[in-house]
Amino acid sequence: MNVIETSQLAKRFSFWDVFKSVDLTIERGSVVGLLGTNGSGKSTLIKCLLGLLKANSGKSKIFGEDSWDLSAQAKARIGYVPQKPNFYPWMSAIDIVDYMGAFYDSWDFAWSRKLIKRWEIPTDTRAEILSPGQKQRLAMVVALGHRPELIVLDEPVASLDPIGRRESLRQLIEVTQDGDHTMLYSTHILSDLERVATHVAILADGKISCYDELDLLKERFKRIRLSSMEILPKTFSISGSINLTTSGKEAIATLTNVSEDLIEQLKQKWDCEISIEDLNLEEIFLELSGREAMV
Amino acid sequence: MQAHCASNTLMRELTALFQISPSSGVPIYRQIMDQVRSLIQSGRWQADTMVPSVRQMAIDLEINAMTVSKAYARLELDGVLERVRGTGMRVKRAASVASPENPGSVRSRKERLRPAAIEFIAQGNRIGLSVEQSLAVATKVAQEILDSSIKAKALK
Repeated sequence: MNVIETSQLAKRFSFWDVFKSVDLTIERGSVVGLLGTNGSGKSTLIKCLLGLLKANSGKSKIFGEDSWDLSAQAKARIGYVPQKPNFYPWMSAIDIVDYMGAFYDSWDFAWSRKLIKRWEIPTDTRAEILSPGQKQRLAMVVALGHRPELIVLDEPVASLDPIGRRESLRQLIEVTQDGDHTMLYSTHILSDLERVATHVAILADGKISCYDELDLLKERFKRIRLSSMEILPKTFSISGSINLTTSGKEAIATLTNVSEDLIEQLKQKWDCEISIEDLNLEEIFLELSGREAMV
Repeated sequence: MQAHCASNTLMRELTALFQISPSSGVPIYRQIMDQVRSLIQSGRWQADTMVPSVRQMAIDLEINAMTVSKAYARLELDGVLERVRGTGMRVKRAASVASPENPGSVRSRKERLRPAAIEFIAQGNRIGLSVEQSLAVATKVAQEILDSSIKAKALK
């Protein structure tokens, strides 16, 4: 079953098209990393998906219901960790969790207290003086307390240092490792994503430019280095290559689906040595977005 | 984390044998597969050794449990691990750890597939399927695998 389904979703702020046509289908059990440069519209997309912002056109559904018109039952199946968690500053962690719990039929008070303890959030301290890491973890408790099936996190760890990020991630893995949860996780920090994501969605130029399984992406994208005995002609090309640079006797190309046949053909045609390298997610992202740097 | 109880110490020693590098170009499930193979090849893991549970691996290595499941399932298909009902997975006796880098000739690889094929047909037979019906299942699964790798439209 598809947990999230959008087609041709568009959002515009006055004259600015944040995105023009987003098609995204997320199946149950997927852990999807939503990638994009700063300002590419990740947060806006998440808000449109959750019905916190109204899209201008196109369709967006969660659990088969229209995002803008979600029933209370559907909302109770969603947990959301916003980019900047906001709590009543005078309440303690326990107060906040109990207060939030009162809004849900399915709130698991015992479990949320257990999480607070396990994640080492001070119970009696006023929220305003919690550290950023503690606030972040508290936001996660609040998002998870009603045992949602879909967890949406908007740059959940951007404000944390690497150790804090790692710790938050670890906690997410602990509570979601059963494969029943669906998670959508926006970030521009690729290393966070590579540990947990099953899928990667890249938001670029107002649309999802790539949506695929992370493992398949890594398996498919290869960089080949070709060094020939002779100087390669200006017209040198490899069919299907994404990026190709030629200099003298050498050429470097990024390819998907490198087959033994293709390598054999190239070797015969150009009398060359060929080496094949794996690409990691950051390199694939750069190849696909054609940009120099990400952060 | 304190939440881990003492009985997990042994398991943690097992998962500590793994070194995962998430930012490598090699998918994490492949890294696990390679490392399980080399643990067996080096003799550290003998036949019948119970491998760490999926959950334990996921938590200790800080990766997605589905990734671990995927690695174990592939290793099962490759004849390296076997499922023990109710308790988990263990290293198979006479586990075939031949690395995929050196697969041998097509003919010898086909030969290696024979035992699995016989077992497959036999299993179908046991549950009352004809050979044709079993083959139809295999064809369908193969088609699904092909479809799912084609469906990716990364380049568009």
